[in-house]
Amino acid sequence: MKRRIIIGLTVYAVIFTLGGLYLLRVINFATERLDRLVQLHQVEILREHYLLKIRRVQSDLTLEGTRHERGFETMVSHAVVMRNLVDTCFTCHHEEEVLDRIRQLRWQTQLYQDALSRVLTMRANEARLAEEQNAAFLVGEELISQVGEMIALTGTKLESATQDSLQEINDTRFALYMLVGIAPLFSVVLGYIFVASLTSPVKVLLGSTRKLKAGDLDHRVPELTHEFGELADAFNEMAASLKEQMHEMQRTEQLAVVGELAAGLGHEIKNPLAGIKVAMDVLGTEAYLSDEDREVVKRVSHEITRLEVLMRSFLDFARPAKPRFESVSINTVINTTLALYSGRHRRAGDLSPPIEVQKELSSLPRTAADSIQLQQVFLNLVINAVEVMPDGGTLTVRSSLEQASGDVIVVTVGDTGKGIAPEHLDSIFQPFFTTKPKGTGLGLPTCRQLVEQHGGTITVTENPGGGTVFSVRLPVRAVIQDGVS
Amino acid sequence: MRARKSLGKHEQPRAILNSLRCCLLLSLAVLVLSGCGETEPPPEPPPATTRERVVIGIIPEQNIFRQIERYEILTHHLSEVTGIDVETKMLPRYGNLIDNFTFAGLDGAFFGSFTYALAHERLGVSVLARPINLDGRSTYHGMILVRADSGIEGVEQMRGRRFVFVDKATTAGYLLPLDYFITHGVRDYESYFGETYFAGTHEDAIYDVVNRKADMGAAKNTVFDRLVAVDQELRTELKILARSPEVPENALALKRDVDPAVTQRLLAGLLEMHTDPRGHEVLQSFGALRFIETSDEDYRPVLEYAAQVGLDLSTYDYLND
Repeated sequence: MKRRIIIGLTVYAVIFTLGGLYLLRVINFATERLDRLVQLHQVEILREHYLLKIRRVQSDLTLEGTRHERGFETMVSHAVVMRNLVDTCFTCHHEEEVLDRIRQLRWQTQLYQDALSRVLTMRANEARLAEEQNAAFLVGEELISQVGEMIALTGTKLESATQDSLQEINDTRFALYMLVGIAPLFSVVLGYIFVASLTSPVKVLLGSTRKLKAGDLDHRVPELTHEFGELADAFNEMAASLKEQMHEMQRTEQLAVVGELAAGLGHEIKNPLAGIKVAMDVLGTEAYLSDEDREVVKRVSHEITRLEVLMRSFLDFARPAKPRFESVSINTVINTTLALYSGRHRRAGDLSPPIEVQKELSSLPRTAADSIQLQQVFLNLVINAVEVMPDGGTLTVRSSLEQASGDVIVVTVGDTGKGIAPEHLDSIFQPFFTTKPKGTGLGLPTCRQLVEQHGGTITVTENPGGGTVFSVRLPVRAVIQDGVS
Repeated sequence: MRARKSLGKHEQPRAILNSLRCCLLLSLAVLVLSGCGETEPPPEPPPATTRERVVIGIIPEQNIFRQIERYEILTHHLSEVTGIDVETKMLPRYGNLIDNFTFAGLDGAFFGSFTYALAHERLGVSVLARPINLDGRSTYHGMILVRADSGIEGVEQMRGRRFVFVDKATTAGYLLPLDYFITHGVRDYESYFGETYFAGTHEDAIYDVVNRKADMGAAKNTVFDRLVAVDQELRTELKILARSPEVPENALALKRDVDPAVTQRLLAGLLEMHTDPRGHEVLQSFGALRFIETSDEDYRPVLEYAAQVGLDLSTYDYLND
């Protein structure tokens, strides 16, 4: 878009520059033509003026010696102006043919001045004076004839040149009018195209925003170009993210509602169950019961116990306990967990699968955490790992410290079991999802809930050597009064 | 009549036309670029500067129009270098010079030798400077000319023929022939010749003899030399019968009541003209090498010549009619 704006402005600048140059050229052209026209008419006026001056001097000459004579100074002044006029012609003409004619005129004018000078200075008898005056008059008439002839000869040429100049000026004026008329129109069209190319994508984005605001989260901005294309991609990403978060929020709200209902229900069930279990235990001690009935009562009591465990797990998930933060060594929690697992494993005796435990613990800083809850998380992961290896395998527990973006403690629990099907990877942290015949589907969701209460995350990946690896990431935080930093 | 050299250009009318053209083009440009608007008031003329002014009379030594050009170049330069407005006034006849000092308000003039003698006697003018001609001489002499093929060798052959003078107030054009006639026993030339008249200029007197409008004529050698420089044949076509004594070349003289400071500046301007390049060009155009200071003593030959002829300058009638 920036490029388009620069190109647009450059095009405008070039157009206006070219237009300005053309206008200057047209004005210059018209000025030259008018200059030429003025010159042509000056020439015409000059020649007429010249002829007029000659006639005036002839008149002076005719009146010389009469009582109406105009005087020496007047006559000399007229003759000088007459001569100056013919000299002026040399500043206008440059063609050799015309110059020759003007030279001839100047020569004739000089002869006329010579004759006039004689008339003005001579003192002689009347006959001689009359002869000189007549000679001067004839020279003057010849000069008038030559000038008249030149005016006649060049009159047509002057007229033609005048018409040509006027035609050229008219053509120039037409071109100027066209330019003045077309240039703004062209500018408006160009400006409209340019502005439209800017406002059209904005309108599309504005429409999409309004659709999104109206709740159409599936709407996506159609493909746009340049920076608007990038903006559209960002907009679409935002819409997709918004839709996902909206779904997540809806799911969370649903779970919360279900959880509240289930928790209430579970609480209501727990007490009667306790009563039933007590009753069953008392009934099982009755002597009149046959062994077969006693076994049935014992089985009922066992199922009630299982229901109680299930209800406790469900209540733990629905109403998780608030963590009690204290300075904890994660490695200590891991060791405690593994010790608990080992104790349970030993009690299982020979029926337990042969599990090899590999422990790789790095030196870790202490962090603010609830050791009981973390122990519950790690124990859950260890038990799950062991359960997916019914024929035995290797349990790997590692701890490490990442310092890429703040200190983060990473604890991984890996197994070499059959692994998790890819289609189940996204579901294993959802409540009540389980692949185990007797699983509650609340173990891993509870783990995630507890880890998230510590500001951490839990993820699952495939173990390169087969099996699954769960990773718990916990930020290193210090304990402060009434909370963590 | 013989070919004459062309006149110099006069710039004033051309400048007016150029200014008119510039004004028209400027007006057009204003109309095209900014549209019609109210006309601006004309700018006020610059305040006139106070400069001294002198009016100098010019005698028709040659064709009056060429004489105007010749002296205008000189006086224009003199105005520039001295800061004094030197104006010229062309006179139709030598004798008018004396009258115009009284009636036309002349402050001075470039006098011929005889007219200065008359003016000095009657008007009390003082001579300042005169030119040294291109031949290195500051004097001229008069000549009596006839056509070489006329067969005229002396006054005997002149009887009944036409004689052209220049002016009664010239040394070369009148005093010389008068002396020549008296010396050769002709006391009343008007009755001796078939016709006498005054051409008014030395140049016309020479050309009238050449063109057979007159049989004899008198003129100054400097004008004759100037014409010969243009047309060499004149020297062979004409024959010189007599020469006058050398007299001072036409000199600038001013009235005694002219401001002495102005007089001194004009004199300095003339005497120093040859020292700067532009002044040198003007002098070349004028036909002189430089100006030299001149005094009344230089006119002694004229006075002696007039006395020899028997003229009383205080009562001499210088009018041609």
